[in-house]
Amino acid sequence: MRSDWTGSYLDGRSAARQPATVRLMREGLEITTAAAGTRFWPYRELRQTQGFYAGEEVRLERGGELPETLLIADPAFLESLHEAAPHVGLRFHDPRRRAARLRWTLAAAAGVLAATAAIYLWGIPLAAVLVTPHVPVAWEEAVGRSAVGVLAPPERRCEDPALGAALSTIVGRLTAGRPSSPYTVRVYVVNRSVVNAVAVPGGSVVIFRGLLERTRTPEELAGVLAHELQHVLLRHTTRAVIQDVGTGLLLMALTGDMTGPMAYGLETARALGELRYSRRAEEEADREGMKMLLAARVDPAGMLAFFETIRKEEGAQPEVLKYLSSHPMPTERIARLEALAAAAGPAEPVLPGEDWPALTRRC
Amino acid sequence: MFRRPTFHGTGGTLFGIHVVNTLLTLVTLGVYYFWAKTRLRQYLFGQTAIEGDRFAYHGTGRELLLGTLKAALVFGLPILLLNAVRDVLDVPAPVKVVAALLSASLIFVFFPVAMVGARRYRLGRTSWRGIRFSFRGRVWEMVKIVLSGSFFTALTFGLYYPFFLVARQTFMVSHSYFGNERFWFDGRGRDLFRSFLLAILLTLPTLGLCWVWYVARKRRYFWDHTAFGLARFSCTVTGPALLGLWVVNGLLLLCTLGLAWPWVRVRSIQFAFRYLALMGPLDLGRIQQEAQQVSALGEGLSGFFDSGFDLA
Repeated sequence: MRSDWTGSYLDGRSAARQPATVRLMREGLEITTAAAGTRFWPYRELRQTQGFYAGEEVRLERGGELPETLLIADPAFLESLHEAAPHVGLRFHDPRRRAARLRWTLAAAAGVLAATAAIYLWGIPLAAVLVTPHVPVAWEEAVGRSAVGVLAPPERRCEDPALGAALSTIVGRLTAGRPSSPYTVRVYVVNRSVVNAVAVPGGSVVIFRGLLERTRTPEELAGVLAHELQHVLLRHTTRAVIQDVGTGLLLMALTGDMTGPMAYGLETARALGELRYSRRAEEEADREGMKMLLAARVDPAGMLAFFETIRKEEGAQPEVLKYLSSHPMPTERIARLEALAAAAGPAEPVLPGEDWPALTRRC
Repeated sequence: MFRRPTFHGTGGTLFGIHVVNTLLTLVTLGVYYFWAKTRLRQYLFGQTAIEGDRFAYHGTGRELLLGTLKAALVFGLPILLLNAVRDVLDVPAPVKVVAALLSASLIFVFFPVAMVGARRYRLGRTSWRGIRFSFRGRVWEMVKIVLSGSFFTALTFGLYYPFFLVARQTFMVSHSYFGNERFWFDGRGRDLFRSFLLAILLTLPTLGLCWVWYVARKRRYFWDHTAFGLARFSCTVTGPALLGLWVVNGLLLLCTLGLAWPWVRVRSIQFAFRYLALMGPLDLGRIQQEAQQVSALGEGLSGFFDSGFDLA
């Protein structure tokens, strides 16, 4: 153990470094400078503010607002200090513990992975499920109004009375079993060739002409509507917004910052993260939508037939891609629906005596 | 005399600190965030040196937490309430208009207050060779600068913006002190205006790329007109160099989904220091410590405005 060291002393009043010699004692440091002679610094009054990493000078400070400072360039000083005064313990950094610090950091990395997975898989979905019922329906309706204005501008809407009446009949059939719903369901048909249907928060469903024309029976459209209505009733948009905020906060905690170019990198991560949540919502809407059809005694074969049509057209019809991008249609999804449909009882036709193909072309 | 600041930190160590910070932030549901920020600053300041001596950061997580709570109380809560009146409550239209105006002006005032508060706090918590930095500008002066700057910028369709920037920089730099010695800024808006005008004219032909050159020019101009005592800063950064830094940093972040940020941070600091120097004599013997009251806990509202605070 070496007991005598050289360093610099700063008095906390001027920026001039004064050469100093330092002697390690059992209870403190003996510091000698040319200007002020020798003084004694007890260890318990000192704090270390630098010298935790390789290549740093060791800096010890003493006093409150304007502390005096001692700087020692040789990092071996700390090891000698711990040998001279073993009782100081964690008050001063011990370079010999740096290997342990690395091990702790690696353990923390494993902890971060575990905590992130837990929050992502359970924490955020749970929070969303708990918070969603407390979001006022009035807020959803306000958001829905502006969304409908963009998706279904008045000049693009199909206002055909016969078609409107048919849609009301189908919606009435589907929702008959749930008189207590806080939503007033409105269905808008928009004159666009895309094959898609969108559930808007607050109770509206937007159907595009391309999709309407591809349904061969009213039961097929009832299947699509049941699925979209479940998005509305299960408040999937509100849930998605909460999950979106949660994912954003999680990413912010993981990266510490979300400014500048960082935002772009995080946007990709966020989009990837939300895929899982949206797949989950789709499965839920499928399952509950099928239950809705069965409860309303609508033939489930219609829903299956429509999804089968869409799946087969994948790749051949670019128009269909739109529906598929938001409603992925793997074979196992149809298989799951078929399993649920097996429980169907006797069905009653939705629109007996109507010429459905003619109705769909009235847009 | 010619001095360059140096940075000794590494991306790997920064990443290690970040990993531990992240774990504690997640486990405490975000509360540790303020202490994490402090740890990070301690490391970054401590790895920055000039004349062989490193900077020290003296802030604490507790101060950051209280600063954020204070800002939330004085600005966040009123803005939230006013917005609720504007959007949700069923009140007459004039009340909604008044609420919207009040909320907008609070948001408007918040930015200068936050900028001055953060600068005061950060400088007040930074030292070099045991001498503290400090910021002594008044927050209302900044509010006035932002108010008139925004007004004239809007009035001239943006052409006034470089003058606004220079006024802000003058305020921020000329009220900064190291001990009892002051920093100076003697830039003039019209010098920057020429580059700004050129950048606007070249935006279409260069597809906006000329703005990188403008940012480099602005950085050079701001540093070259900053002085400390008899010494003057000098910055030699160029447009192509800045573009290279941004492209590589952007790609690093994009490919790693943001995980590479500690290395990006180190690269940016090292880049800035590569082009920055302090020229001329530095009479350190003359500099005396001056105690400044920089608490993150101001008393009362006026105390709040002129005490430093930081939003982490």
